[in-house]
Amino acid sequence: MGGVAEALALGFGSGPVCIASCGPVLLPWLGAEPRELRATSRLLALFLGGRLAGYLAFAVVAWAAGLALPVDAHTRTLIFGLANFGLAALLGFSALVPRRACARPADEPRTHLYQISSRDRSRPPAALTLGFLTGLNLCPPFVTAGVRAAAARSLPGALMFFTFFFAGTAVWFLPALAVSPLRRFSAVPAVARMTMAALAVYYAYLGVVCVASWRLGASRAANLVISRMVSHA
Amino acid sequence: MPDQARRSVLAPRRGTGRSLLLTVPMAVFTLLLFTPSLRQPGAAAKLAALLAWTFMIALFFLMMRTGQTYRWRRIFFVALGFLFPIGFVWDLIALRSSMSIPMERMISGDTPFCFMVIPMTLIPAALTKTIIFPGSILPTPSNPHSIAMMVALWLLATVILGKAWCSYGCFFGGLDEGFSSIAKKARLPKINPKWRMAPWAILVAIVLLSAATFEPVYCMWLCPFKTVTEFPQVRSFETALQFGIFITLFLGLVVVLPFLTKRRTQCAFFCPFGAFQSIFSRTSIFDVRIDKEKCGAGCLLCRNSCPTLAIDQDAIRAGKPLSTCMRCGACVDVCRKDAAVWHIKGTPVGVKPEQARLLYLYAAWVFATMFGGSIIANSLHKLIGLIV
Amino acid sequence: MKRLTAFLAYTVAVLTIAVAVVGPLVWFGVFSRAAAKTSLRIDSTYTGGEPARVISRQGYEIVVYKPVRKHTPLATTGSFVQMVWKPASALPPAISEPVDLDGDGQPDCVVSFQAPRDPKAKLRVTVKPLTALVQPMNEVGKESFSSLIARVNDTIVVRVPLR
Repeated sequence: MGGVAEALALGFGSGPVCIASCGPVLLPWLGAEPRELRATSRLLALFLGGRLAGYLAFAVVAWAAGLALPVDAHTRTLIFGLANFGLAALLGFSALVPRRACARPADEPRTHLYQISSRDRSRPPAALTLGFLTGLNLCPPFVTAGVRAAAARSLPGALMFFTFFFAGTAVWFLPALAVSPLRRFSAVPAVARMTMAALAVYYAYLGVVCVASWRLGASRAANLVISRMVSHA
Repeated sequence: MPDQARRSVLAPRRGTGRSLLLTVPMAVFTLLLFTPSLRQPGAAAKLAALLAWTFMIALFFLMMRTGQTYRWRRIFFVALGFLFPIGFVWDLIALRSSMSIPMERMISGDTPFCFMVIPMTLIPAALTKTIIFPGSILPTPSNPHSIAMMVALWLLATVILGKAWCSYGCFFGGLDEGFSSIAKKARLPKINPKWRMAPWAILVAIVLLSAATFEPVYCMWLCPFKTVTEFPQVRSFETALQFGIFITLFLGLVVVLPFLTKRRTQCAFFCPFGAFQSIFSRTSIFDVRIDKEKCGAGCLLCRNSCPTLAIDQDAIRAGKPLSTCMRCGACVDVCRKDAAVWHIKGTPVGVKPEQARLLYLYAAWVFATMFGGSIIANSLHKLIGLIV
Repeated sequence: MKRLTAFLAYTVAVLTIAVAVVGPLVWFGVFSRAAAKTSLRIDSTYTGGEPARVISRQGYEIVVYKPVRKHTPLATTGSFVQMVWKPASALPPAISEPVDLDGDGQPDCVVSFQAPRDPKAKLRVTVKPLTALVQPMNEVGKESFSSLIARVNDTIVVRVPLR
């Protein structure tokens, strides 16, 4: 019980950092398509689920290795770079590729079920993927939770600690639902898509810097040549 | 302003006597505010202050005499845009022999604060009570342009002017307004109106990224005006890339595109602070309205004259420009039917518009003289010092 | 009702003029005083954080600051600890000394740099870690906000990245 409370408290205290880090990815994406509050909530839940999957992926490896962080800094740089490329690609695709109207035979009757399933076909995988990719960008609170989880006696114990930590951070994501009522303004989806395009460029740049730094090695010379972008807690 | 819509802007609307009478209160108000500048030591400083004050009062007189606003306001605004960098860079060179900001200055909090940073600082300040800018909260001898002073100025301007800050206060806007005025005809007359949303997208992106990185992202990556003010020392590939972006954006958005389109392209299609200020377009009691009954046939002169595409068919039908309207006066001056008018919120549209215009100009021009006029005086001081 | 609204509107318009005239004379001072009373401060990335302890030496002192942690995963400035030697004008020509950063009585690193009299001379610092607290630095100048040596007014500021 004490571990649950500790995990929740640690997560809640870390929440502002989490929402600040995930905000650039999540908020424009939620704003990009007209959608009711219920569907927005579902997409947010899927995003958070993907993020949790990203965290747990590291958590499992960390516990198995008995380490706070499962991989060395050099390899982490490559992982961050690839995750940033993935974010850039997904954001760019979502921003620039228009969603086509459902193509169906003219004589097929309209059914509510058909329209919902067609409209939502591409959304859950995108939500999960975005969440997973942001979860791969390790943050200081995650590292702290990792230290604590690595000390757990069993893998289920470590995973449970992480899950409750995650639940504590997730509370801070609830205000993201406020994007939903903003979509009654017709300009909001267009602005959101333009924002995603701009952010895709930024994440692509981050990806280039991380991969270049991994390639050249984390030496002072590399940092001087490339950037001071890659630094870890 | 398009050629086909040009009225005779010099045709008098009221007599010299009445115009002078209306100018006297402005002269008194602004003299009160300009006194510290006029009291500066040295003949060159006094002369510069006097010239700047006279310049502003002369323009106001012409506004009263001709009944036109846009042309005379534009002269002031372009002068401000071109003279501000002269004075600013002059002070930098005198202080540290360079336009680049060394890290020592950032560590000691001597970086002048710019109003563009305000939107980016809000979320980090709310969450952690820290300002993500290497300046100083209060003025110091080595940094009079403190955060508190600039925020206070912005709040004052927002109450008085609202979005009209972009026509009377912004010391960068005059640059692209100047370049947009050079050509007689637009070489790229058609602009897709969807680009009006770009400033909002940039605003959202930089606010979110600044909260995510705890750094002023716009200043570090996207500000075109770093080219004519100051920029971080180029010490690495990253800072070299940033400098390249600043120059490209400046040349593209502030020089070339305004020249080709005769629009304020940086202000209308890029500036995130303009989008931010649009949120406060309702704070000012003054605005522009379109009297639909008088408008009638739809000549669209107002739409074609707007430097920022704030008027379109929907806006004309609604009877008012979009929230991005900068209250520059171009549409009012060009309208042949007096359908586009100055207006005080809460009063009937089209009833005593000249009264609304006068009250608006008194407020706006006092602010412009206090702020922009003092910047012009400072720059003139430097130029006069070269000659005398 | 319409007349009342119009009257109020004109009143506000006139008051706006009054604000434009009187505002600059009183508002800036009022706002600055109010700002001074808030707990707002400049981000520690730029200021170096808060002083933790002072180590006295002969003729000068070393101010060791509290560690500044990387703010968010995307922040470009990593964690560091700042040390300030002051006054710079009283420093010996060469400094090479162990410094206790965490106040546990044990030195955490050895900091070495030349301290020329010329304030415009370029500075370089070498930091040799004695514990796992900090990263090594070899002839570093002004690499980043988390790794630098700089002369700021009459002090020499050194920032060492934390592990």
